[in-house]
Amino acid sequence: MSLPAYILETGNAVASPELISEVEQRLYREMRYLDDEEYRKWTGMMTDDVHYFMPGIETVYRRNKMDQLNDLSRMAFYNDNLEELGKRIDRLETGTAWSEDPATRYCHIISNIEVETTDNPDEVLVYSNFLVYRNRLARDEDTLIGNRKDIWRREEGVLKLAKRRILLKQNVLISKNLNVYF
Amino acid sequence: MPIDNMSGPRPDYSRYMDIEKGWVDRRIFADQAIYEQELYQIFARCWLFLAHDSQIPKPGDFITTHMGEDGVIVVRQKDNSVKAFLNSCTHRGNKVCHADAGNARRFVCNYHGWSFDNAGELKGMHEEYCYEEGDINKEDWGLKQVAQIDSYKGLIFATFDESAPSLEAFLGDFRWYLDALLDNEEGGTEFVGGTIKSVMGANWKFGVENFIGDAYHAGWTHDSGCRAMNNGEPFPPIDMQNSFHASVNGHGWEFGMEGVGDIFLLGRPKVMEYYERIRPAMEKRLGAVRSKIFGSVASASIFPNVSFLPGIHTFRTWNPKGPYELELKTWVIVNKEMAEEIKDDITKGVMCTFGPGGAFEMDDGENWENCTQVNRGVVTRQEKLHYACGISRKIDHPDMPGIVYRGQYNDSNQRLFYQRWADMMNAQGWDDVPERYKSKLAGRSTRDIPTMKSA
Repeated sequence: MSLPAYILETGNAVASPELISEVEQRLYREMRYLDDEEYRKWTGMMTDDVHYFMPGIETVYRRNKMDQLNDLSRMAFYNDNLEELGKRIDRLETGTAWSEDPATRYCHIISNIEVETTDNPDEVLVYSNFLVYRNRLARDEDTLIGNRKDIWRREEGVLKLAKRRILLKQNVLISKNLNVYF
Repeated sequence: MPIDNMSGPRPDYSRYMDIEKGWVDRRIFADQAIYEQELYQIFARCWLFLAHDSQIPKPGDFITTHMGEDGVIVVRQKDNSVKAFLNSCTHRGNKVCHADAGNARRFVCNYHGWSFDNAGELKGMHEEYCYEEGDINKEDWGLKQVAQIDSYKGLIFATFDESAPSLEAFLGDFRWYLDALLDNEEGGTEFVGGTIKSVMGANWKFGVENFIGDAYHAGWTHDSGCRAMNNGEPFPPIDMQNSFHASVNGHGWEFGMEGVGDIFLLGRPKVMEYYERIRPAMEKRLGAVRSKIFGSVASASIFPNVSFLPGIHTFRTWNPKGPYELELKTWVIVNKEMAEEIKDDITKGVMCTFGPGGAFEMDDGENWENCTQVNRGVVTRQEKLHYACGISRKIDHPDMPGIVYRGQYNDSNQRLFYQRWADMMNAQGWDDVPERYKSKLAGRSTRDIPTMKSA
């Protein structure tokens, strides 16, 4: 069964239903690991050369053509390789990450998943939306919503996250910190 | 004329603290009436940081920001000067600019189409024929300009108070310390692109006082961050003999003299190498003392609400949003002369350590939120807080200007910040603001005086 052509926007073909289903399961598993604070298992789903990127977005007029979404030299919430992500996770494992004790309660919801083929037969382009709910202590809560654009690459038969760009739909981060991943 | 404060007689704010004994009353973090007075007495009078020169390099380049709770537009003019004016139309008050940054020849109000040029002058209105002759003199209805605007080595400041002393006098001898950040290499500094903003349910002063002189919290609050960035190692012990607090006009810098601690915490070996390479030139430029101050475990704030970490390269303002909330704006400050690769490395390092998701920043917000929110309790609010650490360790240092205390674990910069706070809150005008230190620089430029001894 193939999807109708009007869904295609990039010119790339939509992946097969089997591949879409495989990717969906990977996305859900990732988010389950994050909900459960299984951060090493989460980074274990990434390629060694992963790029994990969440730019800071300034509010500008439409006429302003500055490329905030792809310029890696600007300030970003995350602009990490595997080692840098690893250091953030190291902090959580020290036992002295006070703002994580008592534990934060997380729920990651993923939707609007689209999977497209790319020129590289081992890689697929994946779009998705997220809603991340974070609640800690008594009434401390944040709802973070946005889009993601990923590249997943098949390595030794397993799909791994190779690139992720996260666009949080906030200008001012309406939260005291960002101890959350997407 | 200072901004009109119509709320009648004010209490003596000195009663909210005892600087000699070392305590501060929590009501200054909680009381709505005190907060309103801060907006008048501090934010409508002091020199406030607006932007770095590098954010608005070309004519028409602008950023929007806040001075206290007053929104302003900061614009580079054709003649390269900078103007700043209220982001509020003179017709019905709507904002005339809704962007954080950009380039504009005009700011046009969305409500009735009143149009202001990028110097803030009223140039035209939609359906202008509806105004009869004599209804309006456009020259009188431009956007309200700040009273004074000036810059110090790339940092643009403004004040709403035309009676305020010069920026140079406001910064005073603190300029000697600021040069360690702003002038440690030919070419000076610039901000990396972008601004990261976040909110905390915390009083603005908790951010400022933390950076002005709270080395003490680092080894405990940030144990996890330090171990993460530093291969499992905790903060090294500090040298209480050879580390200091220095305070000038309520500004403050706490620092070690080991020269590398903050650069090390950034966790980027290439950046460490960079500073090792330029260190001899830095020493020639700034003298031995300041070249050691830069890069050491250190933090600093400029009164009332600017903070930075020299060596870690984060630069920020704590913007008041009521007694129980602040908006944090952060930037990355680098030397212009650095290769792009070093600038990128620093930017990544800052966001891994002191971005909202950084290994250090993460643990601060929750502390300050709770320090603030507990004061909703009216009994809690009446309790004092202890600020007497190191109260007897005041020294005269031959090289260092300002009021200097020995030992980096110390509350002295915080005590002196709150003393300045009370001085500003109590003063009817700038003439009433007491001079609490003796200037060593006395108006001279700072780079040419590498040490006080040779001055």
